[in-house]
Amino acid sequence: MATTTALITINSSDLLSDELAITSTATLTQTTTATGIEHTTGLARKTITSTAKGTASGQVTLYTADDFAAIPYLFVKNTDTTAGNRIYIYDDTTSGDPIQFQLDAGDWGFIPMHGDKTYKAYATTNPTKVEFMVLGKDQ
Amino acid sequence: MATTTAAVTLTSDLLSDALSVTTDTTCMKAGTSADGLDQMRMGRNEIPTGTSFDLLDATTAGVDKANKVYIANLSTDETYYVTIVIDAKAIGRLYGGDWMFIPWNMDDATHDLEVTSTGGTNTIEWVKFHENETLATQAD
Repeated sequence: MATTTALITINSSDLLSDELAITSTATLTQTTTATGIEHTTGLARKTITSTAKGTASGQVTLYTADDFAAIPYLFVKNTDTTAGNRIYIYDDTTSGDPIQFQLDAGDWGFIPMHGDKTYKAYATTNPTKVEFMVLGKDQ
Repeated sequence: MATTTAAVTLTSDLLSDALSVTTDTTCMKAGTSADGLDQMRMGRNEIPTGTSFDLLDATTAGVDKANKVYIANLSTDETYYVTIVIDAKAIGRLYGGDWMFIPWNMDDATHDLEVTSTGGTNTIEWVKFHENETLATQAD
């Protein structure tokens, strides 16, 4: 069985009057079991050319609804280095395409998804490169 | 300015070669690389089953600002989970032992972040790093 772990560390020495240090490690398993996840899309790097949701093309699909069994884990990073060049991630399954996440330059996110919604990304600037990976159990 | 860094390391023997992805970010105010997020809230809550709760309220002042949210489910039962909802749309499930770090998009003041517990009472720890928050005026 594969062992896949996600470690987060959050540190600050000056946000509070004392040190802030948070660490957590998750071992990624198949839903309701102790069995490790089996599949990944691998790390992808794609160029977003769309600056709006719902336009004909140019958005990047990060995850397609129900591609993986619940729950898939999404890692996503905005590789841009210019502040203000944001990536918006929206729910393409729900009416109105609500924008749920926004990543400024250099930002990343790690999201244990519900798995039943398609997530797409557009950016404020064309082009903007996004890196992403889905981990879980393909179905 | 405050300097807060968030780093992630993903490792696995899932592939025929080692998988290792590491990255970090300094949590900045929206649209700048010179001014770090200087406000935070944090908490630890026990969430009983059967009811959806507002964990974090969206505010008009927070719209299109930087909001980084960390949530960890401390439950040890792998069948317990917390559903994470933004503006009535489920975005994720946090099973016992899992954590998430999301750049929450506060699209408008209805984009509250809600949690619902399933399986049993889940204990979560959370932190929100943000900007532009003012305290609400006292209301008796």
